[in-house]
Amino acid sequence: MSSVRPDLIEKVTGRAEYITDLTVPDMLHGFVVRSPAVHARIASIDTSAARSMDGVVDVLIGEDVASFGCWGVVLKDRPIIAIDRVRYVGEPVAIVIAETIEIAENAAERVDVGYEELPRAATIQKAMADGAPLIHEHHENLQDFYFKGGAKPTQGSNIFHTYRNNVGDVDAAEAAAAYVHEDHFTFPAISHFAMEPHAVIADFKGDSLTVWAGAQTPTAVQKVLSRLFGLQLAKVRVIVPFVGGGFGGKASVKIEPLVAGASWKVQRPVRVAQSISDSMLTCRRLGAEVTIRTAVDAKGRILAKSAKLLLDGGAYSDTGSAVATKSANRIIGPYAVPNLRLEASAIYTNTVPGAAFRSIGGPQAVWAKESHMDNVAAAIGMDPAEFRLKNLAARGERTRPDLRALDMDMSELMGRVTQSFASESQASNRRSRGMAVAATDPANTPIANAIVRLKIDGSILVSVSSIEVGQGAHATMARIAAQTLKQPFSAVSTLRTDTAVAPYDWGTGASRSTVVVGLSVENAALDAADQILDMVVDVWELPKESLSLVEGGVSTGSEVLTFHQIFHRTLGVDSGEVVGRGAITPRSKKGALAESPLFWETSAGLAEIVVDEDTGEIHVPRYASAADVGRVIDRVAAEGQDEGAAAMGFGHALYEQLEFEDGQPVNATPIDYTIPRISDVPPVFDTILVENGDGPGPGGAKGMGEGAILPVAPAIANALFSAYGIRITDLPMTPEKVWRALQKRK
Amino acid sequence: MTNLHPVSFSLNGQPVEIEIPAHTLLIDLIRDRFGLKGTKRSCDMEVCGACTMLLDGDPISSCTTLAVDVDGKEITTIEGVTPPNGLSRIQNAFVLHGGLQCGFCTPGFIMAVTALLKANPHPTDEEIRHYLHGNLCRCTGYIKIFEAVKSLAAEQVSEDAALPVARQRNFRLETS
Ligand code: FES
Ligand code: FES
Repeated sequence: MSSVRPDLIEKVTGRAEYITDLTVPDMLHGFVVRSPAVHARIASIDTSAARSMDGVVDVLIGEDVASFGCWGVVLKDRPIIAIDRVRYVGEPVAIVIAETIEIAENAAERVDVGYEELPRAATIQKAMADGAPLIHEHHENLQDFYFKGGAKPTQGSNIFHTYRNNVGDVDAAEAAAAYVHEDHFTFPAISHFAMEPHAVIADFKGDSLTVWAGAQTPTAVQKVLSRLFGLQLAKVRVIVPFVGGGFGGKASVKIEPLVAGASWKVQRPVRVAQSISDSMLTCRRLGAEVTIRTAVDAKGRILAKSAKLLLDGGAYSDTGSAVATKSANRIIGPYAVPNLRLEASAIYTNTVPGAAFRSIGGPQAVWAKESHMDNVAAAIGMDPAEFRLKNLAARGERTRPDLRALDMDMSELMGRVTQSFASESQASNRRSRGMAVAATDPANTPIANAIVRLKIDGSILVSVSSIEVGQGAHATMARIAAQTLKQPFSAVSTLRTDTAVAPYDWGTGASRSTVVVGLSVENAALDAADQILDMVVDVWELPKESLSLVEGGVSTGSEVLTFHQIFHRTLGVDSGEVVGRGAITPRSKKGALAESPLFWETSAGLAEIVVDEDTGEIHVPRYASAADVGRVIDRVAAEGQDEGAAAMGFGHALYEQLEFEDGQPVNATPIDYTIPRISDVPPVFDTILVENGDGPGPGGAKGMGEGAILPVAPAIANALFSAYGIRITDLPMTPEKVWRALQKRK
Repeated sequence: MTNLHPVSFSLNGQPVEIEIPAHTLLIDLIRDRFGLKGTKRSCDMEVCGACTMLLDGDPISSCTTLAVDVDGKEITTIEGVTPPNGLSRIQNAFVLHGGLQCGFCTPGFIMAVTALLKANPHPTDEEIRHYLHGNLCRCTGYIKIFEAVKSLAAEQVSEDAALPVARQRNFRLETS
């Protein structure tokens, strides 16, 4: 079945509608006034000058909505808008609501806010120091609210979550080891930089609320808004048109409560369309400090690994606790290590809130662990690839007792990237190579519902809560329904995401849609098929076993009954449809989906680099990326996911860092912050997708799209290490850092 | 009341006349007054190319261009290069090669590539990279965008004819 993704046609012609292309009748525009202070008490807010301007309808400030209290998805720590205190530069303190954006923006300059500075804690060290100012006085955990489980905060401190997992006896193993090696790495805050900044339209009408948002998890937005404003879930409707990039930055809940608050105040639709600079002050990847230690025996077998990760969660927790937990899981890698001591904490700081970002906790952990692997190999005089191969967990082996056994062979991926470079057997003397691998456990909550409706003319409607953010989820769902019902892809339409019509689903993220939502679509299509076959059994009095679906109808063996004939004769009128329902729960497939992770997201990367020794600039002329994806459903889309992830990895490796100076953002604008451009990606790039058909999803698919970001930075750092003996321990690997390291070595 | 200035220009081949305040940006005029929403606003600072339109055939950032400055000129937007049915060969190549994901950067890329191929129908790899340096994409990693443009650079075409959608059926997708 070959066919074009309908969303691509809409996008390439400019017809695809994103939030800012929508207009709701009577809509007003909101402009957000943001805190210039790092940590301060709001002493006064005077909105009178702004209010008196022509075209200004109202100004929302904290005290208007203080009675609604706070919200959160793991910890309840966030007000709708700052009430009496700001905790980071960029925190919303007022929204001017006006007839046009221009008026709102001009009036925003006349909102007068008085701040009294408070002691600040803008870095992990400062936030953890004795006597550090508390960014939140107490911590309220929301158990099982968004993810299963919750946060484990340390009351009276800035630590909002700590996760520990110990296996075996690390101390005994280290005492018996031939060699123990410890390293320390740091990882910066990184901006999501989706090309479409956050934009939301909210329309509060009495006891109902409609929100148009580029939300990756519409049902989480619905739930938070329902609780916050005391509305029935059924009265909160979240509509998600095309989304211009998310990468986690539009997951959980972001500016929806803020815009809903503005609409609540004026009881009219309000739109807030942020700039990219605003979005850079809305959320970012968590920075990290990582200490990692490995003990090996005389033959190079890893006996024990311990890791301590401190994650900079920013001023509000969002899903930072989950990021910390995952970072501890993801630092194990695809290795068989009998003794583990893992600890990860998420810490409040007076900076932009941390949030989920493509492979949560993954890049932080893999940067440290794969750089460290090459250091250990060098220290014991072993080739790094050999050291990895010696310590890989085999397919079917567990890397930790509480995690599902590995469902892939990392040696296969390592072999494939190496082969990809085989045409040039050795790197020339100007070029050097480095490798890194990753195995991560996606948090792909096995909860999803789907509806598949087969209509009398054979056309099919699929409705799911998955959003279309460019990954092709809607086309994938249509394809699964088409295959299950044996109808052409062109007969199937996937409805735009709208919680008023789509059934509950956890959300779009953690590479889960193809597998979890895909299975629910498959079940719904099977249910629809069952119903149509039952009509034939009933009306034509034929045994069900003799019937099969064919394009346009049902074959009885001797003839083909069109859907038209079946509905008409069964219902007596020339109309009708069957509604198939499919659900996935942790109990589905006899509980087989409940064990975590549902599948492993794995990748290997091999980088070839050239260093300009005069400037320290690193060029990557060649890169190979391999991932085990189970089964490819749409090759072009699947390759695109990994290429996009790897390119983001180049950004993380070489340029990207959202910088703060004592809490003040230094480069939070698209002019000052660099993401990769077309000339920055390696001219020779090999995207390898390994298919063994062994995933839990439809046709043996696994989820994908997050793995390829992981090996890039450590692979480049390892290439640098192998060629020059210099080890960069903090990202990004800017020319200045590399140059300094080269100088120091000389 | 703000002073209004008359501007007349050609918008996608149609003569238009309108009175606007002097500070109106071209992107707002086209999106809000003419209702052509295909052009996207992203960085709003002339960094990303998402808002690219053609001014007398040359790419410009409409987010930083004053609308009064296009008086007497020709403006082409994504709507102006989209045939009434089907796709332009550039749009078709982006779809075939998967040169887009979320699509937010795509109208800007299509406009930039339109200008590139008009000026230089067979650009080299280096010329493609150089020309598209000002267009940012956070999703694709550019590899498939590059492949799409390269396929066009290799083609011999005289006319920028619209391709029927049926042509895209050649698109190979693997399904399980
Ligand atoms: S929006 Fe105009 S260049 Fe980015
Ligand atoms: S396709 Fe999303 S930014 Fe280019």
